[in-house]
Amino acid sequence: MARTAEVVIIGGGIHGCSIAYHLAKCGVKNVLVVEKGFLASGGTGRSAAGFRHQFGTEVNIRLAAASIKKLERLAEELDYPYGIELFQGGYLMLAYSASQLEQLRKNASLQNRLVNAGTLILSPREIAELLPGLNLEGVVGGSFNPRDGHANPFHVTYAYARAARRLGVEIQTYTEVVEILHSTSRVLGVRTSRGEVIYAPVVVNAAGPHGGVVARMVGVDVPLYPERHQILVTEPVEMFIPCMVISFTHGTYFKQTPHGSILMGVGDPAGEVKDFNQRSSWQFLVDVATKMTFHLPALRRARVIRQWAGLYDMTPDSQAILGPVPGLDGFYLDIGWSGHGFQLGPIVGQIMAEMITGQEPAVDVSYFSIERFKTGQLIPEPACV
Amino acid sequence: MKREVRFAEIAVVGGGPAGLCAALEAARAGARVVLLDRQDHLGGQLIKQTHRFFGSKSHRASQRGFKIAEALTREVASHPAVEVHTGATVFGFYEDGVLGVEQKGRVFYLKPARVIVATGAAERTLAFPNNDLPGIYGAGAVQTLVNVYGILPGRRVLMVGAGNIGVIVSYQLLQAGMEVAAIVEAAPVIGAYWVHAAKVRRAGVPIYTSHTIKEAYGKREVEGAVIWQLDGDGKPIPGTEKDLAVDTICLSVGLSPLIELLAQAGCRLAYVPELGGHVPLRDENLQTTVPGVYVAGDAAGVEEASAAMMEGALAGLHAAYSLGYGQQDYEARRAAIREQLEALRSGPVGEKIRRGLSKAIIQL
Ligand SMILES: Cc1cc2nc3c(=O)[nH]c(=O)nc-3n(C[C@H](O)[C@H](O)[C@H](O)COP(=O)(O)OP(=O)(O)OC[C@H]3O[C@@H](n4cnc5c(N)ncnc54)[C@H](O)[C@@H]3O)c2cc1C
Ligand SMILES: Cc1cc2nc3c(=O)[nH]c(=O)nc-3n(C[C@H](O)[C@H](O)[C@H](O)COP(=O)(O)OP(=O)(O)OC[C@H]3O[C@@H](n4cnc5c(N)ncnc54)[C@H](O)[C@@H]3O)c2cc1C
Repeated sequence: MARTAEVVIIGGGIHGCSIAYHLAKCGVKNVLVVEKGFLASGGTGRSAAGFRHQFGTEVNIRLAAASIKKLERLAEELDYPYGIELFQGGYLMLAYSASQLEQLRKNASLQNRLVNAGTLILSPREIAELLPGLNLEGVVGGSFNPRDGHANPFHVTYAYARAARRLGVEIQTYTEVVEILHSTSRVLGVRTSRGEVIYAPVVVNAAGPHGGVVARMVGVDVPLYPERHQILVTEPVEMFIPCMVISFTHGTYFKQTPHGSILMGVGDPAGEVKDFNQRSSWQFLVDVATKMTFHLPALRRARVIRQWAGLYDMTPDSQAILGPVPGLDGFYLDIGWSGHGFQLGPIVGQIMAEMITGQEPAVDVSYFSIERFKTGQLIPEPACV
Repeated sequence: MKREVRFAEIAVVGGGPAGLCAALEAARAGARVVLLDRQDHLGGQLIKQTHRFFGSKSHRASQRGFKIAEALTREVASHPAVEVHTGATVFGFYEDGVLGVEQKGRVFYLKPARVIVATGAAERTLAFPNNDLPGIYGAGAVQTLVNVYGILPGRRVLMVGAGNIGVIVSYQLLQAGMEVAAIVEAAPVIGAYWVHAAKVRRAGVPIYTSHTIKEAYGKREVEGAVIWQLDGDGKPIPGTEKDLAVDTICLSVGLSPLIELLAQAGCRLAYVPELGGHVPLRDENLQTTVPGVYVAGDAAGVEEASAAMMEGALAGLHAAYSLGYGQQDYEARRAAIREQLEALRSGPVGEKIRRGLSKAIIQL
């Protein structure tokens, strides 16, 4: 059986669902999302779902500001009755050395200049007032933006998926794209694990960490590799962490969810084998428990509920790969978010829809073109764990 | 916290009848065993079983469960090759075959060459209005409360489920001085052995077959329950409600194998209703699809204690053998245990189990 679609989107994470919604909103009929697991089963559902103005490159700062604006009224815009657990208690970036503080200062002034972000530089005293439970040992200062925060990644994805379906988008879950049909110059459609062929003039690769595998289906090489990152969850405790916190020195970030659990992630880029392994490790448990009780000594007696692992989709400059692929008409990329892609999903979905329908993108994302790896001019995003 | 891993030859998770027999069998063959149980004592479900065992004579039937537990625990404790850890919960089975263990507030990591998972089963619950009121228990939990800790949960109880456990626990609650208002059973027939059912009936307890609980009620705790009758399709018949003033409700609606660790280890699972739910696929030696990982007892399929002991023994024997121990006696010993196990599962009583096992046992 063969059928047709205007656009096939590979991947039902935040990016795939946001693109689908924004395409339908632009009036594109017959959009199909193909997801091999359940919605948000990839990086999205495994993320800490923090959002922040506090990036260090212009493009990410502009995207973040626009995306946070969308998140602030997302439940209304999408008429999503359950809410997205939006929690705007701010995001605190800790500096443990003068040079780190200097970098945060530079980032903050860029953020404030470009988008009037309102990012503050805090002294250790001010940090202690903001977060009395935090161990200040070694902290020389930090940056803080009160409008940053976190949300529930499942709700955000489902909100987009529901709204998209309402506008006529079809979403197939537990269905994998196993082949992309193409000629030498353009894509023609996809074949799924259900044996179905869907002809489509546009195919979007929003496959997260599997974006490289999907690109290779049309012979396109992207410098993308998976990297495991893990998270620990404690039992719910009384609310005492009003903001999300990150330490580049320790590779840690943490938040307290609305029902009281504390989530802490630790990245170990040096130690991780770059494969698709998503199982949990005990070494992480040891490491995160040590670091968690260092940052938040009160947690020494908290019980662990569980741990999980997810994959970042990393690129050499920790920057996304976005837009069309020269020489292969109809093939679009939205991958390589390198661990900070949840928060940008709302605005990037809109931008992808704008690109696909031939409109001017709301934010200039030309840096993210795959072409940059040929010219060799890379501008790494400094604010990543 | 130290990043330290201890090595072990064979780790047995769970010290119920299956785990105890697994540890003993492997140790007798010459292997060194670490036995871990999250309770403060070994014996698993057996320690609360004061009744004479059902099951066949040759397999300790008519002995009392807690006596069997005591005997096995003594044997294990006196065996120099078994290292026992109680109060030790295995909380994770990690990618590199490492077990995470929490023992009395401390954590350690164990990397065994072979792992036998004998974690038993968990009691199921039922969905009905107010099923979270204090005063609603699993029947096994009540048995622990009464027989191990000597505490009565209330004065008047409704038992939901007339299988062996529901009926035996009802009888023990009568003996302990509680009133049993009724036993309800959704099926049209009583599942328990008739000797036990006859005993509670003689004591004046009504057993309502084709009945279930409609709801519990009460302000802060259970004050009563409403039961109603089911038709031939299992649908409740309005107008047949009966109101029972009780302060305790016991649910005895079956057990589900505790397979979380095996799932985490990556063992292939199958849904086999005859065995109580999801169970790991395994071969005749109880080895799962993950090499070196075994399952035994209720975790392999809800059955009963004698079968759990023999499965444990088989798993322990093979785990030791695969490490090079007990080579001379292996075949004879294996044949002997298997023969007993087959005898136990023969006849009409074993029919359901045999059907279940035919779906769970595979060639590796
Ligand atoms: C531990 C962790 C913490 C994180 N914390 C944050 C954070 O705090 N803030 C933040 O902004 N970001 C965070 N991230 C990053 C964020 O999760 C990702 O950047 C983001 O979710 C990417 O979304 P996506 O939709 O592109 O990819 P994904 O959510 O990975 O979705 C891709 C989907 O494609 C599907 N797929 C793949 N191949 C195929 C195929 N062939 N056919 C069909 N479907 C396919 C997958 O099943 C998957 O569901 C974190 C990530 C991790 C792992
Ligand atoms: C009320 C009742 C009456 C019964 N009457 C009879 C009878 O008359 N005759 C009969 O043959 N059978 C009877 N049974 C069934 C019998 O008790 C079980 O089949 C048998 O105990 C199963 O043995 P097991 O070793 O597999 O599991 P269990 O006895 O349940 O032992 C499992 C052990 O594993 C431990 N454990 C679990 N998870 C972990 C973990 N993560 N880390 C560390 N330790 C862990 C538990 O603490 C427990 O001690 C009865 C059961 C009940 C509940």
